[in-house]
Amino acid sequence: MFTWKLLPFAVAIIFIAPIIIVFSSLFGTYSDTWNHLIEFVLVDYVSTSIFLVIGVSIGVLIIGVFTAYAVTNYNFFGKKFFEWALILPLAIPPYILAYTFTGLFDANGDANVFVRLLFNLENNFVLFPSVRNITGAIIVFSFTLYPYVYLVTRSAFLNQSSSIKESGRLLGLGQVGVFSKISLPLARPAFIAGLMLVIMETLSDFGAVDHFAVQTFTTGIFRTWYGLYDLNTAMQLSSLLLMIIFLFYFLERFSREGVNYTNDNSTFKTSKELNLKGVKSGLVSFFCFLPIFIGFILPIIELIIWALDARVTLFNEKFIMSSFNTITLGILTGVLCAFLALTINFSIRYTKNNFLGKLSSFLSIGYAIPGLILAVGITRFLVFADRNIFSDLDFVITGSLVGLVLAYIIKSYALANSSIESGYERISNSIDNSARLLGARGSILLGKVHFPLMKTSFLTAILLVTSEVVKELPATLILRPFNFDTLAVVTYTYAAEERMYQAAMPSLAIVLIGIVPLIFLSKMIRSSRLAET
Amino acid sequence: MKKVFSIILISVLTQGLIAKEVNVYTSRHYDSDDALYQEFTNETGIKVNIISGKGSALLERLKFEGTNSPADIFFTVDAGNLWKVQKEGLFQPIKSKKVFSKVPINLRGPNNEWTAVAKRSRVFFYNPKKVSADEIKNISYESLANDNWKDRIVIRSSNNMYNQSLVASLIAKNGEKETEAWAKALVRNLARKPQGNDRAQIMAVANGEADLAVANSYYIGIMLSGNAGIDQLNAAKKVKMTFPNQKTSGAHVNISGAGILKNAPNPENANLFMEFLLSDKVQEIMVKKSYEYPIADVPLSSEMASLGVDFKEDNSSVKRFGELNPAAIKLMDRAGWK
Repeated sequence: MFTWKLLPFAVAIIFIAPIIIVFSSLFGTYSDTWNHLIEFVLVDYVSTSIFLVIGVSIGVLIIGVFTAYAVTNYNFFGKKFFEWALILPLAIPPYILAYTFTGLFDANGDANVFVRLLFNLENNFVLFPSVRNITGAIIVFSFTLYPYVYLVTRSAFLNQSSSIKESGRLLGLGQVGVFSKISLPLARPAFIAGLMLVIMETLSDFGAVDHFAVQTFTTGIFRTWYGLYDLNTAMQLSSLLLMIIFLFYFLERFSREGVNYTNDNSTFKTSKELNLKGVKSGLVSFFCFLPIFIGFILPIIELIIWALDARVTLFNEKFIMSSFNTITLGILTGVLCAFLALTINFSIRYTKNNFLGKLSSFLSIGYAIPGLILAVGITRFLVFADRNIFSDLDFVITGSLVGLVLAYIIKSYALANSSIESGYERISNSIDNSARLLGARGSILLGKVHFPLMKTSFLTAILLVTSEVVKELPATLILRPFNFDTLAVVTYTYAAEERMYQAAMPSLAIVLIGIVPLIFLSKMIRSSRLAET
Repeated sequence: MKKVFSIILISVLTQGLIAKEVNVYTSRHYDSDDALYQEFTNETGIKVNIISGKGSALLERLKFEGTNSPADIFFTVDAGNLWKVQKEGLFQPIKSKKVFSKVPINLRGPNNEWTAVAKRSRVFFYNPKKVSADEIKNISYESLANDNWKDRIVIRSSNNMYNQSLVASLIAKNGEKETEAWAKALVRNLARKPQGNDRAQIMAVANGEADLAVANSYYIGIMLSGNAGIDQLNAAKKVKMTFPNQKTSGAHVNISGAGILKNAPNPENANLFMEFLLSDKVQEIMVKKSYEYPIADVPLSSEMASLGVDFKEDNSSVKRFGELNPAAIKLMDRAGWK
């Protein structure tokens, strides 16, 4: 009992320390910069961010929930394909989708040129509206991030016993009624959890919004740091952002308190899928295809166009080394992060440790810290640790891979945690009770009872984290050791100068590497139907 | 397995023993720079280790690494970035006579903390079909505020440091009040909300979305070289470049520059590296690959030479860009320059 109380706590503290360092700026002095910000720009930053978050939330909920419901409850044209392909856009980082969007839809973008060629139109004819605005940003985030909602919501729908829905039918509900009165409310914790991830990633993004010239809270943070030379105020701004997100987090938890969404019913029945035919089948297919097309196929097409235009040597040493680095770091961090989330969640459940639960939520909001600000917290933490623990003379961990792994884990703990947490929500407490009656305690309970039941969630955690790490840029850029490149870094080298034709190859490689874990994930999704019945 | 270990062991040991290296923190991320570093290693046998990132973030890392920092050289674009490191007292003075003989005093730090390595100018690109010779004749940054430019100008966002330095130089020259009035008028004259990078502004002029773009000089070189694809080459041919303020203060010039850090573990190698950057050979590579203007006396790339060789430069305020940068940002915020 002792180890399970203290150990996860001690480990969690290490990861929380850099976040605390960022927060500690709130207790420092407040500079004149604040007067300027409040008078001229803060209202704009805040309102733009709110507008963006609301737009993206509506977007991902419509796409994520609707597609998840369709593929779990209906049989239609291409359903087997959509079931797994719907998560593919997760392999496209929002900043890359943003770059390809301007490449396609700017006045002289490839899409507009194509339309002109197709219909033999004048050179000044522009079909597609400009994407360099907030609407464009909402579209980009919605179509790259909806899979987070799709993934969790789908598994929630899968776990809804058809007996509940049948009862609904008997009480006179139609198909829409079953969806809106039974399935949707029951899946609420799931899609809210997915939505939280989406909101955090949207708020912490810099690359995509900066490219679209949309001034959000986060671009304001960087402007304050880079331009006004006021890092302290920048950190205070980030802390405020985190506090707001933290508040959301707790409100959401609070609203769930006392409501049990776990299915204790031992007579679980898989739902029968309804067969759709004709126009209905076609419409549903179309609606499922659209997000894959916009969020995955379209950017890939544009990247290929650029790559063909570039005439660069493909497989030079730099490219191979950075691919190797990307893959190794991705897998390493994925496994570490999944273990961390599993241990912490087990410990919370096993020792009924509410405080650790709060720490876990706190660590989750690390997802929302802009990468560069997190890097500042980490550098300070590492230098402190080096000076006080390892050596006065030389750096042992500062400037090593430790910093990178730390950053990745803090940035993606939320992904691992949400997956492990929802896995635990599905394990009934009665299983624990029986296991403990039979003498299973501590690591035996975790290893022999929970882990086998959690295998899918555990793997999902690894894969989600891996695909996220592959995409990460800002923290990598500043924390990496000498001569250490990842694909995202190489992409940035070119993209920063908008040399997209050269950025295309490494971008494609990011997508390809990111797809591998997603394909595993897809396989698991397909087999999860059988496994969980 | 044993073999693998011994190889790793040997390589770790020898690295500690030979230690012929120089560690560079850079915010320049042109791949032509990689070729430069390779060239330095070939010439001297000294390995160049690189960390690249945003200038401000690298500075933060330097500050916290303190006396233990492994960095020898800070290499960056924009004089403001150099000023920040200088202000923190993180540079040591450059002593090399070779460097001094090539770089004029106004392109070095006040106490030789840093030196310029290459120059770029912030110039105008215009559509000759839509802009009259009269309008171009005595054109200046200041004249962009005139009413004849209403809805005709494109320039990128005020988040960009090149714009920040330009505004800082105008503050140094004309004072804050006058510059603010200028910025407000410029915003009124914009053809569209600021968006995209410098190259996107040139493209906008080529495509007829605007008549005049403000952008850095080297972009046109990259576009004209054809390495950036056929679209950009064609676009570049449609525009003309002109240097502003030729009758008055000269065109705004910013620099790529570098300095040796105070706690540099390899100061001799760092010094060699600085001299290397200013050698004719490297200056020529920079001119040909990144299309910057050289500090040493080497010929321009053919692309840049075709657009004018001699122009009047405004070097007067390079040292003040950093100091005035926050004032420039606040001014642009007040003027509504997004």
